[in-house]
Amino acid sequence: MAPSRADARPVFATGRGAGRPAAARFRAALDAALRIANIVCMLLLVCVFALPFAWMISTSLKTLPETMRFPPDWIPDRPVWSNYADAWNSGPFPKYFLNSLIVSSGILVLQFLTIIPAAYAFARFRFPGRGLLFGLVMATLMIPPQLIFLPVYLMLSDWKLLNTHFALILPFASSAFGIFLLRQSFLQTAGELIEAARLDNAPEWKIMIRIMAPLARPVLATFALFSFISHWNDYFWPLVMTTNESARTLPIGIAKIRETEGTATWNVLMAANVMLAVPVLLAFFAAQRHIIRAFVYSGIK
Amino acid sequence: MARIDLIDVVKQFKGETVIPKLNLTIREGSFTVLVGPSGCGKTTTLRMIAGLERQTSGDILIDGACVNDVEPGKRDVAMVFQNYALYPNMTVRENIEFGLKNRGVPRRERERLVRDICEIVDLTPYLDKKPQSLSGGQRQRVALARAMVKHPKVFILDEPLSNLDAKLRVHMRTELIELHRRLGATFVYVTHDQTEAMSMGDRIVVMHRGEIMQAAAPMELYDDPDNLFTARFIGTPPMNVLPMNLLPNLGTEGEGRAEYVGFRPEHARLLPGSADPPSDGLAIAGSIITRESLGAEHVYQLRTTAGTCFVKQFLRPYAGGDFATAVVPHDRLYFFDGEGRRLRNLRAASRPEPAAAGVR
Amino acid sequence: MPMVPKRLKPYAMIAPALAVFSLFYLYPIGYMIHLSFHEWNFISPEKTYVGLGNYREMLTDDVFLQVLRNSALYTVMTVLLATGTALPLALWLNRKSGFHAFVQGAIFSPHIISLVSVSLLWSWLMDPEYGLLNGLLHWFGIGPLKWLNDPGTALLSLVIVAVWKNLGYNTIVFIAGLQSIPPELLEAAALDRSKPWTTFRRIILPMLSPTLFFLVIINLIGSFQVFETIAIMTQGGPVHSTNTLVYYIYEYGFRYFKIGHASAAGVILLVIVGTLTLGYFRLLSRRVHYYG
Repeated sequence: MAPSRADARPVFATGRGAGRPAAARFRAALDAALRIANIVCMLLLVCVFALPFAWMISTSLKTLPETMRFPPDWIPDRPVWSNYADAWNSGPFPKYFLNSLIVSSGILVLQFLTIIPAAYAFARFRFPGRGLLFGLVMATLMIPPQLIFLPVYLMLSDWKLLNTHFALILPFASSAFGIFLLRQSFLQTAGELIEAARLDNAPEWKIMIRIMAPLARPVLATFALFSFISHWNDYFWPLVMTTNESARTLPIGIAKIRETEGTATWNVLMAANVMLAVPVLLAFFAAQRHIIRAFVYSGIK
Repeated sequence: MARIDLIDVVKQFKGETVIPKLNLTIREGSFTVLVGPSGCGKTTTLRMIAGLERQTSGDILIDGACVNDVEPGKRDVAMVFQNYALYPNMTVRENIEFGLKNRGVPRRERERLVRDICEIVDLTPYLDKKPQSLSGGQRQRVALARAMVKHPKVFILDEPLSNLDAKLRVHMRTELIELHRRLGATFVYVTHDQTEAMSMGDRIVVMHRGEIMQAAAPMELYDDPDNLFTARFIGTPPMNVLPMNLLPNLGTEGEGRAEYVGFRPEHARLLPGSADPPSDGLAIAGSIITRESLGAEHVYQLRTTAGTCFVKQFLRPYAGGDFATAVVPHDRLYFFDGEGRRLRNLRAASRPEPAAAGVR
Repeated sequence: MPMVPKRLKPYAMIAPALAVFSLFYLYPIGYMIHLSFHEWNFISPEKTYVGLGNYREMLTDDVFLQVLRNSALYTVMTVLLATGTALPLALWLNRKSGFHAFVQGAIFSPHIISLVSVSLLWSWLMDPEYGLLNGLLHWFGIGPLKWLNDPGTALLSLVIVAVWKNLGYNTIVFIAGLQSIPPELLEAAALDRSKPWTTFRRIILPMLSPTLFFLVIINLIGSFQVFETIAIMTQGGPVHSTNTLVYYIYEYGFRYFKIGHASAAGVILLVIVGTLTLGYFRLLSRRVHYYG
């Protein structure tokens, strides 16, 4: 925002105020005040997003009576760590965790297996029906799971796949978004490289795996982050496709605590919530730039 | 070593004819340079030989065998690309042995080949580096090594020096010539730079709009061009070409009617405007508009009533005033017809007096 | 791939992805449309053809009409607030310093955690008796509000949660859009002595319009599909005040086992989402901005 930039002003002020030191000093003071106000405003903004999380952690360390005070206190009298144990023991959490891991990584592996060849074919070959098929792929980009869960549920039920990992993995075994991203990246790879590989007698699969895919590594990493986090967090699909513990994932398990422990045990619920949210938040702050890019990628281009 | 024949090769792109009909033989063991302005079809020709592009019709033969349906990897050709096309995720060694691996060359053998090649091109210390960490010249060498290690019958080089700085380019030229001598393989080299073509090729193919204007040895092209295009394309500054009808004191004898006359800047001599021109040459008077000195040679641009022309003088600069006369010996004149074809059977003859007064 | 003939190779490479899409996206759409013309309770072997019966039943159902109204209201409010606030925030926060990156990360953070976390957290924040929000309001001498428990404020409360979750994403996308504006353009404007507001209106906004447009559509479509917060926080209540399309489909399918009815509602959602996306691509192909 060059035109409104605040630090352009001091130069202007000293240039003019050489003969009027008082005015210059006033200008400088005003500038400093504005800068501080700016920072304070930003910190307030951060609070809007940080306070709920802080509140979550604070609650998770309270006793039940402490949660029922009004107006509420921020600091519990004595941190109650047992809330975490209670939350963990209220359901088969190791199983939920494992299920989440199986589902999220299963999806990712299958997605890689299907989107790399598809994106490569769309980027590299001209063949009859290419435009139509690519249009078809892009069309599925507009079909969210919320639209088709009912018929898919009926199909999976016919195939006796409900309550299995397959029901949570197979519908996401490919990704139109991933194909789109990857094709874009393949198209940008210099044609000379492929020609050099052809002259080197490399078979098509080797060109794809050894040359094109490594070049698209940043895009693949971006997509992997996006895909893994999205499916790790997903609540809707596992909710619809499972009716027992055999394939349920972590978000379902956490949401279920409310039924088993009763709605009012906020301290245990928040302990569970900390276990669900904090690892993701920590991962986010550790790799903020990459994760933001992964999620925003679709917004640019 | 291999000989390459292109027979009636036609190439069309989306209905547009890029190469109307090409017949060309590249001799075995030759260093053949395809040269021409951009868009003349030289790169397309090269890519068709490599098999990266398929001709619309016609045949391509390597060593007498038709390779129309042979995959690029199986034609026994190696190519050096303009941007080198090194695989960025592989080390120098992996780059060089990639083609060998794909051919199933055993490991022991591969190691020996890579070692030998790297000694030739001085890459041994860089074997485990990635291309990004190499300089332009080193990358160029890797690209060469990758081509050489396969011991191909034909080397194809697509403007391989255009990304190097001027000094390195001159150095690499001599290295490539040396390499060609050592390997004895057929080199097909594409460039748009006629100096590069002249200094490297033992045979030069001048192309223009998909057609071969002339294919000959460098000095033959220079001394004995077939047509206006070749005459003007080879040499710096280019050959001066003036329309005959503006030179009334120049006559011809022999077959054909010349429309244009040409002479090389270095064949003309500048005399002060006041001096008497000798009678056995073409004299064109005019005023000097630019003077350019390169030390050993001096280039002048002369504006005359027949058009602007360049004159090159060696060693001693022209010392006269701005009005000067360029004199070209009659046997250094080239005549061309209206279509730009060279008229070899025409000789110059002075047309005496009355008209000569008309030129100043 | 050695066994596949050369001409079929691209098809073979696309086949796995295409199989997934056809089986789990394209076919279900057709199946859903088919089901919407039938009456079926999911258990009986017979599906009864009822023509447009399900649609007729739905459009005369007061609850469904309220669901449509709720969905529209929720969507409009969310989109207006979440994108309308994001643009000034983006203009404010668009700087490349460590502190700015921290602030951007903070407002983005709700976007990457599960909607389950967000819903549980906000259920507690909005707790009418002991929640933090009422605590803060109490501090200012306001309240207490009943938030999710009052039909008058429940939908708005859900909007607040959605804005809180999506604001960061929208802001970051706007910032990405701002940073893709060539700086020379802004420098040229500054040399032309363009006032900040003029620069914004005549240069930044037009250059940003594809981003703005993209965000509006993404938020529109996303908001029409809201489910998780409703399922966890309100279950559509109180008295249908937060019942929206996807939740309605879910209830009819899995609670009342009226598959045909649920499918018909699904088709309506499909029409809404389809119209929005088609409209988006239509306008996009006409190009919203770009130099001259």
